[in-house]
Amino acid sequence: MGLCFVRSSLIGAKASGIMSESPEPGRLVYTPKELLSDGEYAEPLYAGGVLCHGGFESDGAYRPPRTLHRTPAIAAWQGQIGAGGGELVTISDEQVPPQYPSVDQAKLLLKAGVREPIVRALTVISILEGFGAIIRDVRVPDLKELLLEPFDGTALAHLDKGLFEAHARDEAGYRDQGGHKQMWEAARDLALENPTVPSDVFMRLMGDRGRARGGGDPLFPQLDKKLYRMLMMMSQVLVIEVFARGTFEWGIDVLSDPEVSAEPEKAGTMVRYIQADESPHVEYLRTGLSEIRTRTLRTVDGKTIAGREVVDGILHHILHRMRESRPREQRDDTRNALIAAVDAGEAKKSLLEDFDAMAPEWDRPERTGFEPQAA
Amino acid sequence: MNGLTRLYRTYRVGTTAARLWSMYKVPATLRRWTGRPERTNEELEPVNERASAVLLDLAFDLRGVIIKMCQAIATRSDRFPPSFIDQLKQCHDAVPSKPFEVVKVHVERELGKSLDEAFHSFEPEPIASASLAQVHAAVLHDGSKVAVKVQYPDIQEIVQTDLRNMRRACRIYEWLDPQPLELLPLLEELAKHISYELDFEREADSADRVRELFKNNDTVVVPRIHRELSTKRVLVMELVSGTKITEKNAILEMGLTPRDVLQDLMHIFVHMIMADGFFQADPHPGNLMVTPEGRIIVLDFGLSKELPDGFGLGLFELMFSMMTLNEAAMIKAFTALGFQTKTGDTKTFVAIARRMMRRSDTGRFEGEFTEEMTDELFDAIREDPVVSVPSDFVLVGRVFSLLSGIAHTLGHRANVLQAMGAGSPG
Repeated sequence: MGLCFVRSSLIGAKASGIMSESPEPGRLVYTPKELLSDGEYAEPLYAGGVLCHGGFESDGAYRPPRTLHRTPAIAAWQGQIGAGGGELVTISDEQVPPQYPSVDQAKLLLKAGVREPIVRALTVISILEGFGAIIRDVRVPDLKELLLEPFDGTALAHLDKGLFEAHARDEAGYRDQGGHKQMWEAARDLALENPTVPSDVFMRLMGDRGRARGGGDPLFPQLDKKLYRMLMMMSQVLVIEVFARGTFEWGIDVLSDPEVSAEPEKAGTMVRYIQADESPHVEYLRTGLSEIRTRTLRTVDGKTIAGREVVDGILHHILHRMRESRPREQRDDTRNALIAAVDAGEAKKSLLEDFDAMAPEWDRPERTGFEPQAA
Repeated sequence: MNGLTRLYRTYRVGTTAARLWSMYKVPATLRRWTGRPERTNEELEPVNERASAVLLDLAFDLRGVIIKMCQAIATRSDRFPPSFIDQLKQCHDAVPSKPFEVVKVHVERELGKSLDEAFHSFEPEPIASASLAQVHAAVLHDGSKVAVKVQYPDIQEIVQTDLRNMRRACRIYEWLDPQPLELLPLLEELAKHISYELDFEREADSADRVRELFKNNDTVVVPRIHRELSTKRVLVMELVSGTKITEKNAILEMGLTPRDVLQDLMHIFVHMIMADGFFQADPHPGNLMVTPEGRIIVLDFGLSKELPDGFGLGLFELMFSMMTLNEAAMIKAFTALGFQTKTGDTKTFVAIARRMMRRSDTGRFEGEFTEEMTDELFDAIREDPVVSVPSDFVLVGRVFSLLSGIAHTLGHRANVLQAMGAGSPG
C-alpha cells in the first residue's frame, strides 16, 4: 500500500520543531499527562495508510508529537542551567562520522539496480528507531538519595514522569499511532516502491559474532548501579541521536532524488518530519545530563563525586568507542552486501570499484571534547 | 520385537484409548440422553486428573513413542487441560536404560566392528537415558573422550507399531465423537519430530550447521561429531563437560556472572531464531551447560528446525506491536505468522495479546515471553475460536518460555528484543 497524506498540498511544508507559543513560558513542573500531550492538530499525518503521530498546524506546518508542553518545558529547564552558570552538554558536529554508504554511493547503487543494500540499510534504521522504545524501561533511581543538591523543576525530575515515555512513543509508535519505525518504513516503501525486505536483515543487525558482554567493568564502580545504568543509557542514546543527524541528511538527499526515488517529494518529506521529531530527544537528554553535570553525586561508599567528572567520563568513553565502531560497521555491512551481489552476478565488479572510489573520507578528531580532566 | 510384544502393545494402547473414551464420552452421552447439562470445567478436573494418570501409566509401561507423545502433550497447553500438562511433564525425566549387553551388540552391528576395535574404552553404565536413546562415555584410540548416543535397538519398530496403533485409536475416537479434539494433526506432527530424532545423521548435520553458524562466535560450543563412527542409529561426539546452566551458585563459584551467561545464551538462541532461521528447538536445562571460561555448550540437535522465510520478521513485528499496544499491527502480525480464527474475527488476536500481557509481572510486554504468558496464550487459543496456530510458532514459543525459565532461575529476564541488540545500558 502506498503512502497517502491527508493533506498532499502540505508536502514540502516547513516542519516546525518548536512551538511558536508556549502555554506557560518559564514553567518548570509538569505532569506526565502534560508532557505526553499533543494539543490540537488541524490535520493528522497518515503514512502508508497508517495513522502516525504528529500532525499539521492550520498554516500547513508539521508539528512533532507530544510537544505542546514538552518543548517549552525543555526550553525552561535549559534556561535554568544557563542562569545558574552551567553549560549545556554539546557534542560538536565534527565528532559525527560520515554516513556510509554516502549519498553518492547510495545513488550509484540504486541507479545500477542494486537496491538490496539500501533497502536493508533503511530497514535497519527503522528497526533501530523502534528499539529506541526500550528507553521507557530504564529504571530511574531515587535521585533524592543520590544527588546532593536539589533537583525540583528540572528535566531530571521528569525523566520517568513523561520524558522517557514520550521518547519511547515517538520512536516506536503507541497504540494505533505509528512512530518513527513506521515512518521510515513508509519512506522506504514510497521511494523504492514496496521493496522486498531482505531475509538477512536481522543477521546484519545482530552480526555473527558474540556480543560484547555488559560493556566490561563499570567506568564508575562507586556509583549506584541504577544511576550508572541510567546515565550510560542516556549518554548512549544522546550520541546515537546526534550521530543520526547525518542519517537524516542522507535519507533526505537520497530519497528526494527523482532519479532514484519513485516518490521523491513524499519520501523526502517523511524523513524531514522524523528529523523534526528528534529535536526534543536530543534536547531533553543533553538537559538531563547537563543537570547531573552541575551537581554532586553520592557514591555507594559514602563519599561524593562531581557530576561533571561522571558525565564527561561516560560521554568520552562512548564517543571514543562509537566514532570508531559505527563507520566500520556501516562500511562492512554495505560492502559485504555489494560483494555478495557481485559474486552472485547481480552486479558488475566495476561497480564495486566505483563504489569504493566514492568512499567518504573522514579525519576523526583526536579529542572527543570530554576528556577526563587532569587531577 | 516379536509378535507377542506387538500384540501386547496394541492391546495396551487399545484398552487405554477405550478407558479414556469411557471417562469422557460415556457420561457426556448419558447426560445428553437424560437432558442434563454438560459437565463444567471444574467438574471435569478430577476426570482429567484420572485420565492423565492412566496415560502416564501407559507411557511408563510401553515407553518409546508413547513417552514422546506424552512429552508432546505436556508442551501443548494450547490443546490440553492443565492436569494433563502437570502429570505428563514427568515424562521429561530420565527413563530406565537398556542393559550394556544389548547396547554392545547393537553398537557393534551398526559400526560393523567390535567395541574394542572402535573404542579404547567404553563405559558400560550410561551417563543419560531418554525415550529413544541412551548415552555412554567412551574413549577413542587416539585418546579423545567421546559421548556415544545409542538408539534403543528395537525403537524404530516400536515407533512404527505405536504410531499405527495411535492413528487407529484416533480415527475410532474421531468416528465416535461428534466434536472431536483434533488429535491426528498433532500425531502427524509428533511422527515428523520423532522421525527427525531417530535420524542421527540428520542430528549430526544439524549440529554441524549450528557450529558453522557460530564459527565466528567463541561463546558457543557445539560438540564435534565423529562421522567415521556415526550411523543413523549411533552418534559419536566430542564429550564436553560443564556446569548445568541453571546452577547459579556453581556459575558464581567459577567467577562468572549469571547476567553475562544469560546474555550470551539469549543471543545464541535469538540469533538462531530471528537471524539464521534454523534453531535447536529443545533448550531445556539438561541440554545447556557453561564452561569455566563462560562458553555455552549446546547439546542435542535431534529436534532442530528450519523456519520459513520471513518468520523472524513476522515474530519481531508481533513482539513490537505488543510492546507498543498497536492493535492494527498485532492483527497484521498474527495473520502474517499464519494464525487463523474460525469466524475470521481478527479482534480475537487483540484479546489474546491483551491476556498475555496481563500475565506479565509488569502488565505489559517488555520483550520477554514468560512461561505464564505462553501458557496464557495457549489457554486463550483453546478457549477462543482460533483454528490454526502455526506449529513453528508453538515450537518457538516453547523455546522462549524455556529460556525465560532459565533466566528467572538465574535471577534475570529473557528479553528477546534486548538480545537482538535493542540498546543495553551496560
